[in-house]
Amino acid sequence: MSIDNIIGSAIGSSSILVSLAGLIAYGIIIAIVIFAFSYFFGWFERKMIAKAQYRHGPTYVGKYGILQNFADLVKLLAKEIIIPANANRFLISLAPVLLVAVNVFIIFLIPFSPALQASNLGLGLLIIFVVLGFTPILLFITGFASGNKFADISAQRSVLMLISYELPMIMVVASIALVTNSYSINSIIAAQSKLPFAILMPIGLFVFFIAMLAELERPPFDTREADSELIAGWLTDISAPYYALALLLDYTRMLLGGLLIAILFFGGWSGPFLPAPVWLLVKAFLIAVFITVIRITTMRMRIDKILKFGWVWMMPLALINLILAYILFV
Amino acid sequence: MAITRINVGPIHPSTHGVLRLVVDLDGDTIVKVEPHVGFLHRGVEKLVETRMYMQSPPYMEKIDYMAPMSVQELYVATVEAALGVEVSERAQYIRVILLELQRLASHLFWVGSICNDLGQLFTTFMWGFRDRDMVLRLLEVATGQRMFYVNMRLGGLVRDIPEGFDEEVLEFLDYLEKRLPEYERYTEKNPIFMQRMKGIGTLGREDAKDLGVTGQVLRASGIPYDVRKDDPYYVYEKLNFSPKYSTQGDNLARFKVRMQEMGESIRLIRAAFKKIPDGNALGMPIKLITPNAKNRIVTVSRENPRGEEMMYMVADPQRPYRLSIRAPTFINLAALNHMAQGNRFADLFPILGTLDLLMADVDR
Repeated sequence: MSIDNIIGSAIGSSSILVSLAGLIAYGIIIAIVIFAFSYFFGWFERKMIAKAQYRHGPTYVGKYGILQNFADLVKLLAKEIIIPANANRFLISLAPVLLVAVNVFIIFLIPFSPALQASNLGLGLLIIFVVLGFTPILLFITGFASGNKFADISAQRSVLMLISYELPMIMVVASIALVTNSYSINSIIAAQSKLPFAILMPIGLFVFFIAMLAELERPPFDTREADSELIAGWLTDISAPYYALALLLDYTRMLLGGLLIAILFFGGWSGPFLPAPVWLLVKAFLIAVFITVIRITTMRMRIDKILKFGWVWMMPLALINLILAYILFV
Repeated sequence: MAITRINVGPIHPSTHGVLRLVVDLDGDTIVKVEPHVGFLHRGVEKLVETRMYMQSPPYMEKIDYMAPMSVQELYVATVEAALGVEVSERAQYIRVILLELQRLASHLFWVGSICNDLGQLFTTFMWGFRDRDMVLRLLEVATGQRMFYVNMRLGGLVRDIPEGFDEEVLEFLDYLEKRLPEYERYTEKNPIFMQRMKGIGTLGREDAKDLGVTGQVLRASGIPYDVRKDDPYYVYEKLNFSPKYSTQGDNLARFKVRMQEMGESIRLIRAAFKKIPDGNALGMPIKLITPNAKNRIVTVSRENPRGEEMMYMVADPQRPYRLSIRAPTFINLAALNHMAQGNRFADLFPILGTLDLLMADVDR
């Protein structure tokens, strides 16, 4: 039973109102999922990194430091908003909010189970990647608007990153659409009922995963935020409440990346025993853990090397993947 | 393209303290780096002039807080030279052992911090920190303090090493010997690490000579100059010390030289424990020092973890008339502009990291 039907049977009025109420209810569910994931994964990541580094991580606030993130959030929200004189007030206040909105919107578009989804869009995949393309542009705007030279360099790097990994990523997505002959996420997941695309297209998974690391600003591609070079990159002049938003953004994107990889390559919500949304979230969580393991161990690549890597390795691999997908499966 | 001038520091995550760099960038390429120092100047050299000889070692330790004992030892050795005090042989061996342990502690910290400069999330940093802490624990066993030891007296030490110290140290050395290849595997087998280190920040042999750099920066550029070999002090000659060097002159060479030096330090400590004689290691109690400077002007230099540190002292009977310290990091910092020119902005910080700067030592 879909969520529209539940609400329809509950209030039993016109279809527009039902679908609107359904969307709002779904939006609330998504918001809870995002907040819960950001909170607990944020804590889990800290504990994980601490474990790798022979530390304890947060222990003081709450049992096993589980409330530490809440304490941090309260601290950040209690601070003053400072906007530098050089900054563009309008853009710097707007862009971080828009960034979160864009990423939340994409998660909103992603179906969590055959029943639990906002709408079964025929062009869902296309829309997701079009909206995803806004993120680097908004990062560029934030960096550029803060009037800080470090943020400026970060903004320039953002554009370079965009041209280095976005194309291979879209080509992998194209090969998936080619194989399934559809842009609908539901049919992509249905097509993986026998074998996930991770096995059918290992090259595609490799390229997409690396492109996703770059998209999520995770090491070794965290050149935009590069703390040892650019202080905090585009976040340098962002004051505390916006920084809290940026932290939320970080984990929202982590969830988004996990969900996208799980849906496109690991069969989405399909799996035995557990309910569909749980399977999807478990897969996304495991992928996020893997990304964190990479974060713990690797060093940062230089921006010009990323550009070279994108065009010399990722692009041909994505092309090979596309051609192989066409020859083998179409 | 227009030149962008960026002010890096004095508050910046990767300037190892309070170094201010004014960097001119052409796009992403460094045109000029101008270091501005002095934010941590404490006037140690002047402070020393107002104190009796043996009141100063605590000040000296704070000059190089990553390797406090080496500066302290240098100062005590300078006073010994001025007052003409001989160091007993057992004390010489113990000093060598402690100094080499101190070098290990400093280098272990450095291995972690260079990975941090390369953009890692403190993982190797914490690993290095953990192993460094084991060294500090050993030094605490020997001296009673974890970081600032003040354990040198004229002609020897405050106290002899405790019983069973050698076994503890040798056990640790066995552990560290297994860890060092792990560090190497972790770094030199990492393609991103190699990409960021190999051929970056190259300093040629002649340039290194002209700029007067010291320590690992000099040795990585192909000049095997090490005070322990070329102007041997204490018992380094008896321990068959040989300096480690490389001819590449880039970041990776400096990294490798430091890693090899750790292996050499392990070897030196083992050899020293084999040869250490019995006898008196204690120095003069402070109250018994007769302030009677024999040599008016003395210059003593030591191979410290960061390079050749030198002290020039004009001695008065009561207290130093003038003390001047040639800090290795200050000299090495002067080479930064030369090394960084033409490199990318992101490479500035690994280059800075391989110089092993310590602002307390630069500014004094």
